[in-house]
This record gives sequence, structure tokens and C-alpha cells, in this order.
Amino acid sequence: MNGGILMKLKLASKPLVALFMAAVLFAGCESVQPPSATEPPKTQEENKTPADTSTKEPAKEPAAESAKGDAKETPRNETLYINGLQWGAPTNFNLLSGNSAFPISYGSSRELVYETLFMINELNGALEPLLGTKYEWKDDTLHVELNKDAKWSDGQPFTSDDVVYTYQLGKKYDINWSSYWAYISEVTADGANAVNIKLNKDNPNKLTVLDSIEIIPMLPKHMWEEIEKKANNDLTAIRKEVNADPVGTGPYKMYFYNDQKITIVRDDNYWGQSLFGKLPAPKYITHVIYKDNAAGDLAFKSGQVDVSQQFIPQVWNMWKNGAPIKTYLKDAPYYVPGSMPSIIFNMSKKGIDNVDVRRAIAMSIDYKKISDLAMSGYSAAMEPSLTLNTEAESKYVDKDAIKSLQWTTDVKAANDLLDKIGAKKGKDGIRVLNGTRLGPFDVECPYGWSDWNAALEIVAQSAKAIGIEIRTKFPEAPVWTNDLQTGKFDIIMNTPAGGVNPSQPWSRAHDIMYSKKVAPIGEMAFWNWGRYKNDKADQIIDQIPTISDEAQLKSLYTELTKIWLTDIPSVPLMYRPWLFHTVNESVWKGFPVEGDGSNIPPQIAMDGAGIRALYQIHN
Amino acid sequence: MKNSFVILLKSPKFMIGAILFLLMLALVLIYPQINRKDPLEMIALAFQPPDANLWLGSDNFGRDLFLELMYGIQTSIRVGLIAGVFATVIGLIIGLASGYIGGIVDNILTAITNIFIVIPSFVILILISVSINSRSSLVTAIIIGITSWPWTARAVRAQTTSLRGRDHVHIAKISGHSTPKIIVFEILPYIASYVVMAFVLQTASGILSEASISMLGLGPYNTISLGIIMNWALVFEAPVAGAWWAFIPAALSIALITFSLYMMNTGMDEIFNPKIRS
Repeated sequence: MNGGILMKLKLASKPLVALFMAAVLFAGCESVQPPSATEPPKTQEENKTPADTSTKEPAKEPAAESAKGDAKETPRNETLYINGLQWGAPTNFNLLSGNSAFPISYGSSRELVYETLFMINELNGALEPLLGTKYEWKDDTLHVELNKDAKWSDGQPFTSDDVVYTYQLGKKYDINWSSYWAYISEVTADGANAVNIKLNKDNPNKLTVLDSIEIIPMLPKHMWEEIEKKANNDLTAIRKEVNADPVGTGPYKMYFYNDQKITIVRDDNYWGQSLFGKLPAPKYITHVIYKDNAAGDLAFKSGQVDVSQQFIPQVWNMWKNGAPIKTYLKDAPYYVPGSMPSIIFNMSKKGIDNVDVRRAIAMSIDYKKISDLAMSGYSAAMEPSLTLNTEAESKYVDKDAIKSLQWTTDVKAANDLLDKIGAKKGKDGIRVLNGTRLGPFDVECPYGWSDWNAALEIVAQSAKAIGIEIRTKFPEAPVWTNDLQTGKFDIIMNTPAGGVNPSQPWSRAHDIMYSKKVAPIGEMAFWNWGRYKNDKADQIIDQIPTISDEAQLKSLYTELTKIWLTDIPSVPLMYRPWLFHTVNESVWKGFPVEGDGSNIPPQIAMDGAGIRALYQIHN
Repeated sequence: MKNSFVILLKSPKFMIGAILFLLMLALVLIYPQINRKDPLEMIALAFQPPDANLWLGSDNFGRDLFLELMYGIQTSIRVGLIAGVFATVIGLIIGLASGYIGGIVDNILTAITNIFIVIPSFVILILISVSINSRSSLVTAIIIGITSWPWTARAVRAQTTSLRGRDHVHIAKISGHSTPKIIVFEILPYIASYVVMAFVLQTASGILSEASISMLGLGPYNTISLGIIMNWALVFEAPVAGAWWAFIPAALSIALITFSLYMMNTGMDEIFNPKIRS
């Protein structure tokens, strides 16, 4: 075994240090094997290795810039600082690696170095043009026109070949965007400046195909073909590519990185000047890698960080003393909701297989308390529905039609309901329904996800008041994942389809209710973890992606929501922001806020349509 | 035995420790009888500072920290005592067997003991806690007990080995007493005082271990212990929020309990240990 680490562990006086050491110990056990060229390393190990080494610079650093000294300090008033996207030292900037660092990571800070075809706007769900100028459905084919001006940062033109190549990578290898190929049959070039994406006939889902054009980052064919060739088309070898100086179409290029920060520099030849009318304001963008949330919050409060994507408890305290700190919404809930962390019932568990018991639990939960205690009040009042209460989603449901089925916190009504179905309280205060004691039911989420831990403590406490025993269980995250997928739980917490994208709220409904192709309990399921089954719901979920008429969509979603509210396979506990977008305007001013008319979404000024903020801010 | 107890009562260190410990025990046993509220009930806002109603303020869930502390100390002492009993009994059995029987049995048992000493018990504790599914305070206590016996075993073995060669043991052997009988009547009384001291120390370290492991989030579920109170304070960044009341009282309680137990131990040591007896 690893003697040195054990010695250190013994010396460690504080439990936290011990935990860290234990983590090192586990990692150490994995990585003691000598590195071998034949054995494909796991991604996790890959993740660890560079963390041990010290400062690294991009291999292909331009000569002019490397003369500026080691720390690469950039002028404060030309640099935009961000935190909360990168924890731990960066390992690579290779999108295919599966663990690439800021600003390359998949689905976050999307438009800085690599760009997507369209930019998602979380406020209204619109897809705004970027590399693509417009898209339209021609029967089962999505026709996308590309921007003729677009160029790679090395000067090469961006063409339909690059788009086709990038999509094909997902077909060839098992990478982040491979899943879209379940819905796509082929992607072909239509001249140099347009592509056609053809639906898979067996699985015609227009919604997920639309997702793909706002999330897949476009890679330059001329660069990655070389890398593929060098790696002999072997994905494990491709994953080892660090890609320290990525060539993208975006407005920024890699400038400097080490294990404390990552800095990118503006590309003054950026093609998008013709689209946006000018260059983005900050010359540099730096992500400082903080030790933990607390350190990041402190730096943000003192103005060392301009944009924070961290959960800041009681954010209003930040501007109480007049500090120029803002959230997108001026008042509670401060952030724009993006997902609904929910508890999911195991539909085969005796006791909670009864819908009235589930309804009683839903009515017992104190949602206001969850919002206040777990989320610092960042979750608006709970109105149970499959849709979020945002402009992008609320249009799909007829609020009046579902009103009578929606539950609110009402302990008395919950108790009455349980009395009515004949669940009498036993001597210990816990009800018994037809010989089944209502509890103990375990409710589960990973340890250390503090807002979730708190929410579940409140659920357990709320259930006590109606004579149902719910116990919290906070295992390590991998245990939770396994329990979730194999269905080995009574009640479990998870976010059904967390992203903000064109396929919402369909994908959320799908993850909660769709029973086709779901493995039975004991095997892995990737949605519908509680194994809910309703043929009518399946049918509607199959139908929605094929329909584009808004009125028809609304009636289908309303019907689906009614089924959900009647059967209660899950109960949303809170609304969670997609991004915790908080800005400090000590250095940079003019970030978008609600009602400023700019329609720039609070997407940390660098993700999707949120990047338009970079053209608006000023010193 | 009775005599030594009377001597103990004259030791100021032992008395300070014992009185402190009993006072604390009395408080945590009596207060919940007066304030019969559910300690897990969320009655206030998060991290409310102490006032006339909430003597020690509220934690991140808005729970009454004073009431929680009472239950937490109870759990922690219970876990410590159970862990102490387990550690002492296992250590005693292995130490006695290895010291008295000797030979190959001694070699094997000593080897096992040494292995357990070399591997830090805390690592084993973490590994076991991560791997088991149901974690109640009893399970946690037992795990702590079975990972912290080696030092007791070693000391008991050493004493037993030296006792084995004494005349009264030889006489008992010649008289035809059975091995268990000799161990219980001829050896145990001579190491009894040491065993009691070891038990007190094991209890104290059991309380500390519980606190450490709970602070890592690996403690028992669905209960309150001092470690769990501190764990929540840590997870919810109470130090950043300036909510000292969320962790200082719990930390102080641990310090006070272990201090009182160590005082008792030192008092006993001064009386029973011939080397430092005054």
C-alpha cells in the first residue's frame, strides 16, 4: 500500500484534512500502476494526473505573448473575471475527452471559443442565429443555413463540411452528442453554406434535433482530422489530446492557464463583428479556480470576480451595504428558474403505491420552508405542473384546466385524506393502511448536495405531521446513481431533464412518465426511475414531438399534466435556477437585468444568447 | 476494590472529572423531559442568533440548537460508551488470551493486533462506513469499537505476560484450576484498574471518532449527534455566515466530555499506576 499517504493521514488532525487525504488515498490506489500505452486509462484517472503537476502553459503559445512573464497578469479593467464553472486544475481543452475544462466544457460557456449553430435564450426559449442564420423544417429534414462570414481563428472559412464532420464525430465515437444520433439518420452538406439534418424515421423527434443545433459545439474539420489520424481513429488516444490552443470560431482564444486560473484573450479578427456590430468589451476573460464555494463568494464580494456562477446563500446580503452587486431579478426569487428537482416515488413500493398516500405526502410538504431554508428563497411559490412558470414553457399549459388538481401545502387536508382512506394511526403515531405501516420509507439523495439534503430533511419532517415515517438517506453520489437507475429506492430525489433547451417541457415529461424501453427494477433505467406506467401518457409523449401546431401542443401538454397531477409519480420540491447568474459591477457595468428591454438572458454573459451581454458591458 | 474506590474519591482530578461528567449527563437527561418538543422540528429561520427563546440560536434548518445539543450529547455519549465497551471487551479477550496462553497463539494474536495498529483505524472506519448501507448510531458505535481495540489488547497482553509468571498463578495452576478460572480470579483482578482506565479512554476516543466520522458525513442517519450538528454547520457554511452558535457549542461539548473523561482517567492513573503514585 501507499505508505507515505498513510503517514500523512495519521498526522492529519482535522477530519476534513483526513477526508481529503482519504480521497487522495483512493485516487492513489488507482494510479499507482505505471502508466502504460496499451491500457486505456479511465477518464477519472486522466482527470487526476495533471492535477499533481504544476504550472503548465499551452504548448503552442504565441511567441509574442509568452514574453510577458509567468503569472500572465492582465489589466484589471480589461479583464472579466468569472467563477463557479471550473473546480480543480484544468486537465485538457479537448471536447471529446469528456472532462474538458473551462471554456471548452460541453453545455456550459458555450460561445466563447467554440460556437454552436444557434444560441439558446432561456428567457423565451428562442434560438438566436450565430454560426447558423436560419433553420426550417422541410418535412422530416431540418434545413440550416450557415453564416457565410464565419471563420476559424486560424483564418480558414467555416463551412458545411465542418458541421457535417462535427455531427459525424458523434456517430463515429461515443461522445457527448452521440445520443442525438438516436433521432437523426443523416447530416449532409447542402452546398458550402447549408446543411440538412434528416430525422430518423423510426424515432422522429423534432424537438431533440432542435436541441442539437444549440448545444453541439462546432469543431474545425481541418484540425480534428489530423488529430484523428495521429490517434489512428482510436477514441481513447484522441481523448489524451490536450488541445492546449484550441482553434474555434468564437471571439476568444486560449491565452494562459495553470492550476489556479484560466485566461482567454479576445481574437480581434473575430468574424462575428459583422453579426454583433463590434467586438466584445473585455479583452481578457479569466476564470480563477477557487478552493471552494466560500472562497469564491468572498472574492466575488470584494470585487475580484465580476460574474459568479456559484450558489451564494442569502445573496441580498451582498448588496445590503451598497455594493454594486446584482442579480437578474431585483427581488425574490432573484434567479430565473431552469429546472425542478423532484422526489420520485417507487411505484411498486407497498404503501406509496397508493395514489392517495402520494397525494397526502405532496400536500404535507412545506414548499415555502424548502425554498427559504434550502434555497435561500430562490425558488418561487410552488405551482405543481410539468412546466416551469417561465415565458418559454408556461404557454403550453392551460392553467385554469389544471388548477383543481394542483396541490398546495395543507397538512389538515392531507390528514383528512388519509383518514378517509382508512389509514389509522398506530400506537407510535404512524398510520397503517390495510395492514401496511406507512413507513419507514427512505428518501435518498447524495451527501453534500446541501440544498437537496436540506429539502429532504424538510420532507421527512413534514411527513411526520401526517403520520407517515420518512427517513433521509444520504449516501455517496455513485451509490445514489446506482439506486436511482436500478430502482432500488422508496423515494429518491433527482432533477428530471435539467437542461434549458427547445425540447422542454417534453423532455421533462418524458423523463418522469415515459414507460417504453424502461428496464424493469434491478436493471438500469435512464428515465422514469420510479417505473411509472400509463399507456395514455406514453401515447401523448410519443405524439408531441411530431406536432408543431401550438394550440394542439397546448391541449396535449394540458392533458399530460392532468394525468401527472392525478397519478403523482413525482413531486417537484423547488425551482432551481439553471445558472446562478450574479454580477458585481465594480469594474464592468451594464449587465442585463429584468425589464431593460435588451432580452439578453442571465446566462453568465458567456453561454448561449447570454454572450450578447459581453457586447453591452463597459468599464 | 471497595478500598480503591474510596481512595479514588479523594483524588481531586478524578472528582472534578466525574462531577463534570455526571452534571452534563444529568442536564442532557433531564432537560428533554422538561422541554418535550421534537428536536428535529424546524421552528425558526436558518441561523438565527441566540435569544431568550432559542438559547443557542437555530441551525441551518431552523431547529432549536440547544435542544439539539441535549439530544446530540446523549447520542454521542451513548455511542462512546458502546464503542468503549466493544473496544475494551475485544481488547481484553485478545490481550488475555495472547498473554496467558502464549506460544503460537500469542504470536498470531500479536501479529493481528500489530496489523490493526499499523493501519490507522480511522481509515478502516471510513472504509467500513462508506460501504455499509444502513447506518444507525448503534452500527456506528460498533464499527468504532471494533476498530479501536488494539492498544488495549497490547497493554493487557503485556500485563498478563508479567502476571503469568507470578507465584499465586503457579499455585493456582498446581492446584488444578482451569485456565478460564485462573484468568478470571488470578489475573483479571490485578489488571482491573487498568481495564477501567482503558474503558474510560476508549469511551472518550469513541466520542471523538463519532464526531470525526459524522463530520465527514459518514455518521449515523436520522439522529442527532455532536458530530452531525457540526457536519451540517460545515455543509451549510456556518463559519462563513458568522453563525458561531451552530458549531462552537457542539465543539465545546465534545471538548468538555472528553476533558472530564481524561480527568477521571488521570485521577485513576495517579492512584493505580505504581510508577506515578504519590
